[in-house]
Parts: sequence; C-alpha cells; structure tokens
Amino acid sequence: MAIKTANFIDPFDNAQERGVAGVFGMWVFIAVVAMIFLACILGYLVVRFDQPPGREWMPEGTPGLPPALLLSTVVLLISSYTVQMAVRAARFNRQTQLRYAMGATLGLALLFLAVQALAWKELWTRHVTIESGLYAWTFYVLTGVHALHVIGGIPPMVQVFRRSMEGRYTPTNFTGVVLCAMYWHALDVIWIVLYATLWICTALAVLAV
Amino acid sequence: MTTIQLPSPGAISDTIEARPESDNYLTHTRGILSWIFTLDHKRIGVMYMWSVLGAFLLGGTFALLLRTELLTPGPTITDSADTYNQWFTLHGAIMVFLVIIPSIPAALGNIIMPIMLGAKDVAFPRLNLFSYYLWVTGAILCIVSLSMGGFDTGWTFYTPYSTTTTAGGVIPVLTAAFVLGFSSIFTGLNFIVTVHKLRPPGMTWFRMPLFLWSIYATAIIQVLATPVLGITLLLLIVERTVNIGIFNPSMGGDPVLYQHFFWFYSHPAVYIMILPAMGIISDIIAINSHRAIFGYRFIAFSSIAIAMFSFIVWGHHMFTSGQSALMNTLFSAISFSVAIPSAVKVFNWIATLYKGSVSLTTPMWYALAFLFLFTIGGLTGLHLATLSTDVHLHDTYFVVAHFHYVMMGSALIGMIGGLHHWWPKIFGRMYDQRLGTIACWIIFIGFNVTFFTQFILGSQGMPRRYYDYQPEFQIYHVISTIGSYIMAVGFTLTAITLFGSLVNGKKAPANPWGGRSLEWQCASPPPFDNFAKAPRVGDCYDFTVVHWDPKIGGYRVDESNDPEVNPAAQGTKAAH
Ligand code: HEM
Ligand SMILES: [Cu+2]
Repeated sequence: MAIKTANFIDPFDNAQERGVAGVFGMWVFIAVVAMIFLACILGYLVVRFDQPPGREWMPEGTPGLPPALLLSTVVLLISSYTVQMAVRAARFNRQTQLRYAMGATLGLALLFLAVQALAWKELWTRHVTIESGLYAWTFYVLTGVHALHVIGGIPPMVQVFRRSMEGRYTPTNFTGVVLCAMYWHALDVIWIVLYATLWICTALAVLAV
Repeated sequence: MTTIQLPSPGAISDTIEARPESDNYLTHTRGILSWIFTLDHKRIGVMYMWSVLGAFLLGGTFALLLRTELLTPGPTITDSADTYNQWFTLHGAIMVFLVIIPSIPAALGNIIMPIMLGAKDVAFPRLNLFSYYLWVTGAILCIVSLSMGGFDTGWTFYTPYSTTTTAGGVIPVLTAAFVLGFSSIFTGLNFIVTVHKLRPPGMTWFRMPLFLWSIYATAIIQVLATPVLGITLLLLIVERTVNIGIFNPSMGGDPVLYQHFFWFYSHPAVYIMILPAMGIISDIIAINSHRAIFGYRFIAFSSIAIAMFSFIVWGHHMFTSGQSALMNTLFSAISFSVAIPSAVKVFNWIATLYKGSVSLTTPMWYALAFLFLFTIGGLTGLHLATLSTDVHLHDTYFVVAHFHYVMMGSALIGMIGGLHHWWPKIFGRMYDQRLGTIACWIIFIGFNVTFFTQFILGSQGMPRRYYDYQPEFQIYHVISTIGSYIMAVGFTLTAITLFGSLVNGKKAPANPWGGRSLEWQCASPPPFDNFAKAPRVGDCYDFTVVHWDPKIGGYRVDESNDPEVNPAAQGTKAAH
C-alpha cells in the first residue's frame, strides 16, 4: 500500500517491493563497507611487508595482540547467530523469540565493544600507545575503524529492537530485521578477515625475532 | 470496425490534462519548511542545483583571483606566495568536491532521472535528503577551515606536505572532503537501487535513455571508489593529529602509498565527472538531430567499460613518483585502452549528427562545444599517458590545460548544456535562445583562449602551482588571463539569460525540443508525483512519432501509428 501525503510520495507500489529494494540497497552498502576495509587491509599489508631495511615491525619486547581479541571474536560470532535467529523468528511469527533474539544481539554488540576496549587498555597499559610505532598505530586504527562500524550499527539495531517490542514485524514484513542481520553478518566476516590478517602478520613478526 | 479499447495512449493525456496546470512540484506545497524537509527528488535536485551553482560562483571567483595574480611575474595582487597557494587549493577543492562531482548526478540527475525512468521518486527519498545535507555540512566545513587558517595542500592533499604544513585548516577540509564523499556514495547507492528496482513495466535496460546508462555507470564508480577516498582521508586525519602513520616515512610508512590510495579514487572520480556529461550530450545530440542515436548499445556499453577500466589506470598519475618501470609500462598501456570507449562515443555522436537534421538550439551549441573540447582534452590525455612525454609534461601547465579541457570544457560544459536542455522542464519557462547561444560562444572562445595557451606554456616548461615565473612566459599568462575574463563575461550572460527567463520567459511547452523520453511527456514543470498512472514506455530514440505542433508551440508524441499502442495500425509505422 503506497503512502501518499503532500510531502512524501512512496515510489514503491507495496511493502514487498520496498523490502526487496531495501535488501538490494543493503548489498550495495555492504560493498561500500567492504571497499573501506579492503583499502585498510591492503594498506596494512604494504607497510607491514615493505619496511625499510633495518627497521623492525615489532621491536624487542613489544607485546603481541591482546588475547582479549579472541573473546571478542567469539562474542561477535554468537551475535551473528542470535541475529539470524531473530530473522527466523520473524519469518515464523514467533514474536517473543524475536524480542529475545534482538535484545541478545544488542547486548552482545555492546559486550563486543567492551571487550575491544579492554584489549586496547591492555596494550595501552603496557606502554604500546598509538604513537609507539606503526605496529601499534595500525592495530589501533584498524580495530578502531571496525569498532566505529559496530557503533554505527547500534542505533538502527536499537530501532529494530524497539519495533520488535512493539510487535511491528509480521511474517510478510520484517525487512528491518533482515537489513540489520545482513549488516551484522558483514561486520562479522570483515572482523574475521581483519583479525586473521593482523594475527598472521603479527605471528610472522614474532617468529622472525 | 468495432471500437477497440486502446491501451493507455501515452502519458501525455494522463498527466498533463488530468490536473490543473498551476499544480506542479514547485507550487504543490508552500513555505520554506516544505523545501527544507522535502523528500521530493525534484526539489532536492533543485536545492542541489542552487547550492552547486553558488559554490561554482565561489570557485570561479578564486579562479579569477589566480589568473589576475599571474598577469605579471612576482607579486601582482598579493605579495604572499602562501596566499596564492591557498587560493589555488581552495579553487581546486571547491570545484572538484563541491561543484563538478555533485553537479550532474546530484543536481540534474536527481531532478530528471526518476522522471526519465518513469518512477515516482528515487528508491530512498530520505537518504536522498540526507545526502544533500551532507553536502551542506561539507560546504560549511570548508568555510570553517578557512576561518581556522585555510589550507595550502593542493586539492590532492599529498603527504608528507599535508601532514606537516602549518596551515590551520587542513583537518576541517579533510573532514569536509570525507563528508562530501559520503554524500556522493549515498547518491550513487540510491541511483543504483532506483535503476534496478523502479523501472516501470516496459522500461527494459535497453530502452533506457543514454543519460540513465551514464548515471548508472557513474553510480557504480561512486559506490566502489569513494569509500577508498573516505578511509584514506580518515587515515590522513589520524596521522596529522598524532604525527605518526602509515604515510610517514620517518616511522617506516610510505608516502607514495598515499598517492596510490588517492588516485585509486581520483582517477575513477574523473569519470564520475565526465560520464554523466557524456550521457547528457548523447541525449541532446539525438534529440536535436531528430534522429535515432547511432550505435545505442555501443554507447551504453562504453559507459560501463569506461567505469570498469577507470579502476585500473590510476598509476598514470604517478609515473614520476618512483613506481617500477614495469608498473609504469602497464599503467601506460591500460590508460591508452581507456581512450577506445571514449572514442567510440565521439564517433557515434558524429555519425548521429551526420545523418540527422540538426536544430541548432542553445543546448545543441553546448553539445557541439563539448564535442570539440572533449576531443582535445581526451587526446592530450594520451600525451600524458605516454611515458616518455609525461616525464617532461608532468606537473606543468600542460596537465592543467588537459584537465581543464576535460573537467571544465567537457564535464562543466555538459552540465551547463544539460541545464539549458532541461531548464524549460524544471521551471516551465523558455529562455532567450539567441542570448543563450551568444553566451555559449563567448564561453567557448574564452575557454580556448585561456586553456589552449596553457598547453603551450606547459610544453615550454612552465610548472603548475607556481606564484612566480620567468618573464619569457608572461605573454602566455596575459593571454590566458584575458581568456578567463572573457569566460566570466560569458557566464554572467548565461546567468542573465536563465534568470531572466524566470522573470519574463515565455511559458514552456511540455516538449520544446522534440524529445521522446518520458520526462518530455509530463508537464513543464512536472506535477509533484511525476505520473498519475505508470506511463507507457516507447523507444525513446524513435523520433518518427514526434511531430511539431504549432498550436502548443512544442512537439507532440503521436503514437497512434505504433503497433505496440494500436494493434490496428500494424505495419503502417513509418520506416526510417
Ligand atoms: C582519454 C582519456 C584520458 C587519459 C588517457 C588521461 C590521462 C591523464 C594522465 C596520464 C594524467 C597525469 C598527468 C601528470 O600528472 O603528469 C592526467 C591528469 C589528469 N586528468 Fe586525465 N586523462 C584522460 C581523461 C580525463 C578526463 C575525462 C578527466 C576529467 C573529467 C581527466 C582529469 C584529469 C585530472 C584532474 C588530472 C590532473 C590531476 C592532478 O594532478 O591534479 N582526465 N590525465
Ligand atoms: Cu587519471
């Protein structure tokens, strides 16, 4: 049903079409985010493996990646699972489960950020600050850019959670939940690639020492 | 014969006659708030248009200051080289980020694209308004940066200069470019989804007017290249703030990496600027030749090909920055191949003109100017893509002349041509075509006087971005400056022509030029919701059904002989 007011002309004929377009738009947006991280990772690899002779990526005594990252990875993976659960719940009209699943995802997202903050604090207290060198700089900036994307995803997620509390999602119209889940899975995959890159490159540096 | 229930006989009778003439998108709601919060793509486009034209005035003022300063070697109107650096930086940054990139897609594209497509709006109207306000934020940040001490890095923000200069406004202007980048990304996203999901029945991919193809190809670049600029600027901001980063060589970083990132965006960005202009020119030429565009599919696919190629040639901006010989050779060879799809377009336009019966309207004069200037701009790109010549021409006025031929002579002229083409549609008024054509000629002459001279300057070794120069160059600088004043006169006359039409212009007919695409089938100005009923989509380059109608002082599309509309007329359609 098209919404028609003086100010707003709904370009779509029905909610179905609007939903399909929304999902397509989210794919395009995921491509945008993917390009951001592709550039980040390529830049990281270039400076990591193209250090001038005599300069060490991790000078003696530099601590490796904080173990807390392992925990945050698990948290993010679980949140991907819960958000997918929310999509299924919406599809089968299980309203209570939808609420719990969205609430859990939101909670896990906040937990993820908290653990990332812990990881930062851990390095920082061991005197690895953003100014100590490129090893630290790239760590803070890359995880920071990812965290910014998580933070950016939270307001829409709160919105979807609120709407699920109001019971606004029906089995024929739950695009909001789907979009939320798509974005979340994307951040999850990106985090795993990012973490793996950081981990492998750091491990190589530690082995070389 | 019994009466046949005809399918809707074309959009004209549905939309134009069904509503009172005075109810259009400009008058449908009133008051400033109805504009500020509007979600109507046409109004957003009109706001973009005024904003972009305002920024153009500002950027143009700096251009005149620059040229005036260069009248004599040494100090002319400012005795500080730093001030000169700030002027050319501002001029470049404003023209690139605030004017040319948004000019066609965000301004004209927003107004026209959904109507041309037969849609009621873009897919995400709120996102569209958000894009506009991001543009406004970017513009404000530019001004903030001026008040904080300006910036003198050049529009390219090369490291290590941009991370070490003492100019105080660098971080705000980087933020501005970042924000403007996202404005551009969201516009591109919106247009991609619109073209995919809002084509009405009958509007197949190969029935889309070429302007839509070019806007679509542009949107792909906007979406895939601009994020890289965004993250690069962010890294630069962090680096400038904490004095360390991956572009800082003293810490093991690599300043050339910045150039790679920057040009990975900025070369495709030059196609963000030129592709939409090519689309406009395709449509202006076809309509004013009253003849099907020659090689429709070639032109459509060449837009996509250009978009794809544009991602793999960025290294041609870095031939002298220590890239390996192998990379240089590869980038040079690939850059040559970009010239092929561009040339395909030029030949198709000329073939269309050759067989057509050309009406020399004002937009058509702009299209002809474009053809001439783009050919020079594109061909000189080949001089620069050739390694042995670029080593000499790099960072000279030859490059300045090249990119002004393509950015101003082509992209901007395309935009102004499009403005003249759709002005009657947008505001419902005809302008004085004689005056408009004279202005076009003045701009064309002024442009060549200004920039052709710079090819000579550059090939004789005058470096770009210099405040002072050897006295032997003075004659060329003087000629070039005179040319810029001529252009200023031309643009003033254009403004008088267009604004004058709003005061005392004749009422525009729905279809003043003889177009067949959908925007010419709804009233001028269009109603607030574009189409009351989904319009019927014909072959937008079949002009055999477009006839001049002296009663309305415009053209009329008569499809009654079209077998698709009227099965009884099978076979009587005029051959062409
Ligand atoms: C036929 C295709 C083209 C080729 C082969 C080409 C080639 C080149 C090359 C090799 C350079 C680098 C010169 C140097 O710095 O030494 C250059 C610079 C430039 N080109 Fe093109 N170009 C083409 C079309 C365009 C178009 C269509 C535009 C814009 C609409 C454009 C805008 C620019 C700009 C802005 C620069 C200078 C950037 C700067 O250093 O500030 N070019 N071009
Ligand atoms: Cu280029």
